[in-house]
Amino acid sequence: MSNPESAELLPFIVYFCAVVLLVATMLILSWLLGQRRQNKSTNMPFESGVLSVGSSQIRLSVEFYLIAIFFVIFDLETVFIFAWAIAFFELGWYGFFAILVFILVLTVALIYEWRSGALDWGVKTRTGIGES
Amino acid sequence: MIPFLFYMAAAIALVSTVLALTRSNAAHALIYLIISLLAVAVVFFLLGAPFAAALEIVIYAGAIMVLFVFVIMMLNLGEEGDQRERGWLEPGVWIVPAILAAALMIETVAVISMTEGMTSGEMVSAKAVGIKLFGPYVLAVEIASMLLLAGLVGAYHVGRRLSERRRGGIS
Amino acid sequence: MSVGATIVFSLVLLLAIVGGAAVLTWFERRLLGIWQDRYGPNRLGPFGILQVLADMLKLLTKHDWVPPFSDKVVFIFAPTAIVVAMMLGFAVVPFSPELYILDINIGLLFFLGMTSLAVYSVLLGGLASNNKYALLGGLRSAAQMVSYEVFMGLSLMGVVMLTGSFSLRDIVEAQRDGWYCIPQALGLYVFIIAGIAESHRLPFDLPEAEHELTAGFHTEYGGMKFTMFMLGEYCGLILLSCMITTLFFGGWLGPVLPPIVWFCLKTFFFICFFILLRAAIPRPRYDQLMSLGWKVMLPLTLINLVATGAIALWMQGA
Repeated sequence: MSNPESAELLPFIVYFCAVVLLVATMLILSWLLGQRRQNKSTNMPFESGVLSVGSSQIRLSVEFYLIAIFFVIFDLETVFIFAWAIAFFELGWYGFFAILVFILVLTVALIYEWRSGALDWGVKTRTGIGES
Repeated sequence: MIPFLFYMAAAIALVSTVLALTRSNAAHALIYLIISLLAVAVVFFLLGAPFAAALEIVIYAGAIMVLFVFVIMMLNLGEEGDQRERGWLEPGVWIVPAILAAALMIETVAVISMTEGMTSGEMVSAKAVGIKLFGPYVLAVEIASMLLLAGLVGAYHVGRRLSERRRGGIS
Repeated sequence: MSVGATIVFSLVLLLAIVGGAAVLTWFERRLLGIWQDRYGPNRLGPFGILQVLADMLKLLTKHDWVPPFSDKVVFIFAPTAIVVAMMLGFAVVPFSPELYILDINIGLLFFLGMTSLAVYSVLLGGLASNNKYALLGGLRSAAQMVSYEVFMGLSLMGVVMLTGSFSLRDIVEAQRDGWYCIPQALGLYVFIIAGIAESHRLPFDLPEAEHELTAGFHTEYGGMKFTMFMLGEYCGLILLSCMITTLFFGGWLGPVLPPIVWFCLKTFFFICFFILLRAAIPRPRYDQLMSLGWKVMLPLTLINLVATGAIALWMQGA
């Protein structure tokens, strides 16, 4: 098998164009058909009927940043596992032990996170932060 | 048809990268960057490297860019950030790096045009990548796992210090 | 397939997905009604099925409002991202030996890539809305989705190992001797949980929890753009059912009936199963959900991988 054939890709290109067309139609139709109204509170942010106070530029907890970092790193690790899984029978026991070491390191990382409380959401009781 | 698709994807990648560089709003720039990465994935696929294409989507477009968007949301600078970004887009800031990069690009093009047939044009299947990665290059895989471990621990400690400082500031 | 047949099939598939998602909104409410001992929509047409049409008309004629305080381009872009990503995910699903849009040797990775792109719609929707609740909901939702994405991919690797291919047609063909739901029961379990969390449906719909975040990342959305978020969610549900059928329950394989019928029957069964989950299980707390992912599901997936590898190699050697 060499480079992808255009005949194989044609259905996908047609399908892709159809999807884009559908989305565009939905947006344009609703813009054309939609009613237009202006009340005194139409253009206010919705906060369940309570008047909005302050701006939406709020500080967010660092846990979200940590989760994103963990995600990127573990996602990179999964890619190595993908490469191993696809050639699993060809690699045999040799590849198995290679990935075993790899997964063990991954597990060490996970245990470290777990023990240090990085996976606990909210109040950190172990380090004593947030109790005051 | 394949060459046409290739040039279209390449053009999209170039245009969206330029747009990503010149936007002053970080969120807009990131969207262009994501589109650029997806176009590069298409280029990889058309060149006969489907596994690389899939990884481009899963890792770059699907993970690293998500981290970037996360950071933008956390900082959430709004108009103030746009202003600062616009300041960075002054010609005085980017002219020297741009000239240097252009020189480097001319050099690269010259080198590529001198060598014959940079791409073999052969399909590299995912299985071939796996066999190579866990055959001759298995040591690199294990080293990568160590590096990722180090990255994880480092990121956690930076994050924790940030969190402590922030909590301290509030109370 | 000829060019004409290709175009017809693409359009039919697209209509089937959109129509299926639309009917599903009604079907889900009816089933929930039966299970929770109430009626559900039963007034318009036979069994209330015309409710779908009424809802569609209502949503089409709603004010197509883009908040003046929002980032307008991103605000419109966000809901389209999830619809396009989810619909493209269907391109690699083999509905029968002949009916598929794209048969590439990285089909499974393509599916994973598309689901990972769906995160943007939530993140950017929350960011562009410029509303506190939307921002919080978007971040929460995205953190949940990315956490579960990690082992969603990993849980499928057992199937890939046994088949030796990422192509979904090869995976179905390899199940002629026995469906993967038995040797890969653990993988199936993790995949179902991860799939629900990924498409943030109830019981894992915390990002949209009304009682604390009004409506999460789509607080400011209304009319057709809101519909597109919902369409993306229902398409995700159908796609997830299709993938479970393909990867673990032999896809189109089955006796007597034509392949496409088997595929639809199995997919329909899983859609009903997901609705039953919605009817039966209460929401967990957000921190419980996150620790379930990292502390239970991720180790389970790794154990599944290592065990599958060892047993498969041992059996091959023996």
